[in-house]
Amino acid sequence: MAKRYLILEDGSAYAGEGFGAGATTSGEVISNLNLLGYQETITDQIYHNQIIIFAQPAIGNVGINHDSYESILPTAKGMVVRDVTNISTNRLSRLSLDEFLQQHNIPGISGIDTRHLIRKLRQQAGPRKGSIVDVADAHAFDQLNATVLTNRQVDQVATPKPYPNPDTGKNVVVIDFGLKHGILRQLSERRCNVTVLPWTASAQDVLNLDPDGVLLSTGPGSPLDLGAGVLEMIREVQAEIPLFAIGLGHELFALANGAELEALPVEYHGSSHPIRRIITNDIMYATQGQGYAVIAKSIDRDRLITTYVDLINGTVQGLRHRDYPAFSVQFFADGAPGPHESRDLFDEFMEAMTAREG
Amino acid sequence: MQNLDDLQKVLIIGGGPTEIGHETELDSATVQIITGFKKHGVRTSIIDNNPFSVALEEIQPTNMYVQAVTTANVRHIIEKDRPDAILPSLGGLLAIQIVQELIENGDLGRFGVTILGMTASTLRQINNPAALNATLKAIHEPVIEAQIVDTTDEAMGLVESIGFPLIVKPVSPRLDTNRTVCENVDEMLNALSQGFQQSRFDQCTLERSVVGYKEVEMVAIRDVADTKVLLCGLENVDTIGIHSGDSIVVTPPQTLTDREYQNLRDATFRIATELGIVGVLHLHFALNPANQHFYVTKIAPYFSRGVALAARTTGYPIALVTGALLLGQRLVDIKLPSRYVKQTAIMEPTIDHVSVRIPLWPFQEVPDADQHLDTAMKAVGSTVGVGRSVEEAMLKAVRSSQFSPRDVLPSVSNLTDGEMISQLIHPLANRILVLIEALRRGYAPDELSELTKIDNFYFVKLQHLLTIEQEIQDNPLNVDTLKRARYYGFGDGMIARIWQTDTATIRHLSAEAHITPTYKMIEPTAGEFAEDASGYYSTFEYENESQPLGDRTALVLGRGGNQLGPNSAAEYFTTEMLKQLKRAGYHTVLMNTNPNAIAIAPEFSDKQYVDPVQLGDVLNVIQIEHPDIVIVPGNRHYLTRELGKLDVNLHVLPPDQETGEEPPKIATIGVSLFVHGQQKIAVGVMDMLAPGMNKSVAQVTAFRMPAELPKAKRLGLVELAKQAVSERQVTGMIQVLFAPKGESKQLAVVGVRPTRLTEMAFLSKVTGINWVRMLTRQHIETLDDAELAKIKIDLNSSRVALMNAAFPFRQLHVLNRPGTTDQEVGATIAFGSSEALTLSNLSDTAELDQIINRTIG
Repeated sequence: MAKRYLILEDGSAYAGEGFGAGATTSGEVISNLNLLGYQETITDQIYHNQIIIFAQPAIGNVGINHDSYESILPTAKGMVVRDVTNISTNRLSRLSLDEFLQQHNIPGISGIDTRHLIRKLRQQAGPRKGSIVDVADAHAFDQLNATVLTNRQVDQVATPKPYPNPDTGKNVVVIDFGLKHGILRQLSERRCNVTVLPWTASAQDVLNLDPDGVLLSTGPGSPLDLGAGVLEMIREVQAEIPLFAIGLGHELFALANGAELEALPVEYHGSSHPIRRIITNDIMYATQGQGYAVIAKSIDRDRLITTYVDLINGTVQGLRHRDYPAFSVQFFADGAPGPHESRDLFDEFMEAMTAREG
Repeated sequence: MQNLDDLQKVLIIGGGPTEIGHETELDSATVQIITGFKKHGVRTSIIDNNPFSVALEEIQPTNMYVQAVTTANVRHIIEKDRPDAILPSLGGLLAIQIVQELIENGDLGRFGVTILGMTASTLRQINNPAALNATLKAIHEPVIEAQIVDTTDEAMGLVESIGFPLIVKPVSPRLDTNRTVCENVDEMLNALSQGFQQSRFDQCTLERSVVGYKEVEMVAIRDVADTKVLLCGLENVDTIGIHSGDSIVVTPPQTLTDREYQNLRDATFRIATELGIVGVLHLHFALNPANQHFYVTKIAPYFSRGVALAARTTGYPIALVTGALLLGQRLVDIKLPSRYVKQTAIMEPTIDHVSVRIPLWPFQEVPDADQHLDTAMKAVGSTVGVGRSVEEAMLKAVRSSQFSPRDVLPSVSNLTDGEMISQLIHPLANRILVLIEALRRGYAPDELSELTKIDNFYFVKLQHLLTIEQEIQDNPLNVDTLKRARYYGFGDGMIARIWQTDTATIRHLSAEAHITPTYKMIEPTAGEFAEDASGYYSTFEYENESQPLGDRTALVLGRGGNQLGPNSAAEYFTTEMLKQLKRAGYHTVLMNTNPNAIAIAPEFSDKQYVDPVQLGDVLNVIQIEHPDIVIVPGNRHYLTRELGKLDVNLHVLPPDQETGEEPPKIATIGVSLFVHGQQKIAVGVMDMLAPGMNKSVAQVTAFRMPAELPKAKRLGLVELAKQAVSERQVTGMIQVLFAPKGESKQLAVVGVRPTRLTEMAFLSKVTGINWVRMLTRQHIETLDDAELAKIKIDLNSSRVALMNAAFPFRQLHVLNRPGTTDQEVGATIAFGSSEALTLSNLSDTAELDQIINRTIG
């Protein structure tokens, strides 16, 4: 394998071996601390524009599997790992991680002291850029420094056109901000008849479909970049029908209801933080992937109730509207990858839709 | 459960002697739990008869019941001591069984004793597979059910629902038969016709065979409020059909998809809740890699080797947290020590390294045992390798498992192809070496995976190691190759062997090219927080995290994985030595690879390096820590010799037996003296008992103290012993051996040697003076003559002590016989009056066992 470099904005360069696509790539460098689930991670659209450092040192071990896609067309910018195995385990033995990344033009670099990087990056606040390059020379650093990362991530990854995921149960509209498939799987398991709408859909577009409920999906980037239209849509829809929002959807739901957001000093991607469900005092775990958090102080207590909180960093992890059957969680209630114990939130959503029927 | 706030006295059921199935990990957890209880003002008493127990050192003699761990003895203690609660989770399955008997016979109820950690009903279910299966079924957890059939027609009716392969087993067989795995109807009919004949009731059971499924273990923890934390998943490389204790185990699991892993996590949590476990829970699953279906195969709500590995690999303080949970604390309220940044017990561990555990088998010492690996565990110990790739972790574990003085792997290239294939299908103890050999001979990974059911991934990894080995062969003294080899876990000794040079050359080359190890911390947050844990492992990367501890550092080298011989005693020795070094103001550093070792728990030393105890790796640690003193165990001659050539303050402790004089053939009495300068303290006069016909010293595996001799005679022997010691200018803990000589059969000196580890532990337990610490102090020169002079030992005590070695013969299904010191797996100890411990027949091992295991009224 070819020698390649991971270079960072601070001028550091790390030599490793290239795998996946041979392209030069630049993106925001973040770290993922999950033990398993590299395929789910790399295909999750929240990583659009990002280069992912994996804490788990051995990556690629189970190849690429048909039931581990969180999107079909991954748009992450790169993978940084300690060790990669080129192996296929599906029935045709035909797709390794390496081949998959080549097909989707995503470069990877292995042989990197990922633990060092994760330890180092946790001390540096704010987004930081990095590149995977062939030569770590001044030119490469100039290119990196000149790179302007788009803030139109949702546009890049969300569906531009509506599409259905038919079934026989509740009629659910999913607003796609970079939807991970785990959400669709949970709705399918509950027999929901789903229509996925582009994130630009208006309240009118949503209500025309006469849904039993609306789900605001996960997605990449900053919710502040999406404009006021979305917030307006949320406000209108939540007043009419049950609403459940996850990840970026949760952040938008908070904004729509008067709360403010802050960028976390370091993005957190992992599933080891205990999360408290405030109403029951239960502790549970879920995969989190967030660069922003709702500012607790900013929550208008007349409109929103905090339902979940992260006990490690204190961030708000869930909200519920006081007047409407509308609620949201910051973490990924569908798992994929990660713990399943918050999947009952989908049941709660189902109950809210049933209750509306009366 | 009663209010745990009122808890004042807890009785712990100890693990008893080391045997196949458990070694020192139970003792290690016990020490930590006792310490925790003490902090909460709870008084602990313990029943155990393991002379090598460190836990017994931590407890007031009045709370110590050195008795055989039996229901009758526990019952008497309850009657006498009236504990508020009893803790069954530190004594393996035996403790669970004992507590169940105490529930059934009404003792716990009668004396109002609470069971800590689990309910009576859970405990009953752990002992009753049928009841447990019913519970699991009720919560929809898949279990393998055995169905009883009386006729072949009935069996045929079940075939479709069970599916092939299935297992036929006669019910209550007349002879010791095995289960038969059947692949089709014909095989099943055959097995049934045989089975019906063998069964006393003309019945057989049919059950689904999960042979060849992946075996995955989960370790979780739960509190009274039903908060659960998943601590660790362990993947067995060998599939179902080989006992997990005999399988190579990798953590975190490498070949599971996230979905498979999370499904097992869900099941683990549901079972923990359903069974109301408080504390640690260790589950085994059989996972069908073809369709993700799984079965629960074992539920162990107690400390085990799986829990020990989980603790070592995650850095999560399992025993400490469990101790608090058992007293009714909630996970959210437990405050961890400040070395954990968030000081919380509810962050789920996530790690950024790979650990591989390889079992160690006793077949060299017990060659007549059936060496095939199957569903009955045969390993006596294990050794762990930690690294940043599967290759590195695997190779480190393999290197440690071979106990090669020069750190080279033995070759199995002399196997014929036929033998090799047979061993691939019916594995033996050298399993891993045969797998590597098969790859070497050109078998493809997927072929081998098909043959062995081991996941293809592991063969791909082993083949990668062979590619690197080839690269080493092709590029002698090439620096890039050296770098790559070290990066993937090759030891200096292995590389030196291939390049036909010495380790000094390898090290010189490495130093010149700046190929130096970087030590990474073993901590539970995968780098998210700046934890200050004390466990480290080496790798060859960018950042080194291990900083020297500073002045006055002592590096203690462990013995690696447990084997037969004096290893449990050695663990006791190492732990007590570390405690003493710490007390004397040393920063203590331990290097060891035994995940079940007592001393490897962070409580006993300032720093632990989990790296092969091989010359190259030891030198690397020395380079980092600059220890003032390095302590090497006595059985490492090559290492001692090589380290001796360097500028290192080297101490061999425990002392090397081989440096003593030629041992005598026969010895019947041993007199132990602690020799320090001019002082010779008589520590004890013991009978050396060699049960059996051949009374050679190698068969002296039982001891009685004081020796059955007239007082004057004992004192006479002591004088002779002192004389013998004076003549030889030896120092330390010395044993002078006596045997009857000449016509008169007068006892005469036949040899002088450093006291063996087992006897050292025995002497400490009997005299109440910790001789390991004394010996350590002698070496670090903190022993005070005046203090020594004050020691008074009654050589003629009327309280008699008996120690008897435990052997693995029964578990290995070999003829029970008098064993040799090389075959000891553990030992038991008993105290009593001279009458109670009188032996009528010194050759009778059964009598010895009977006396040691007697009920103390």
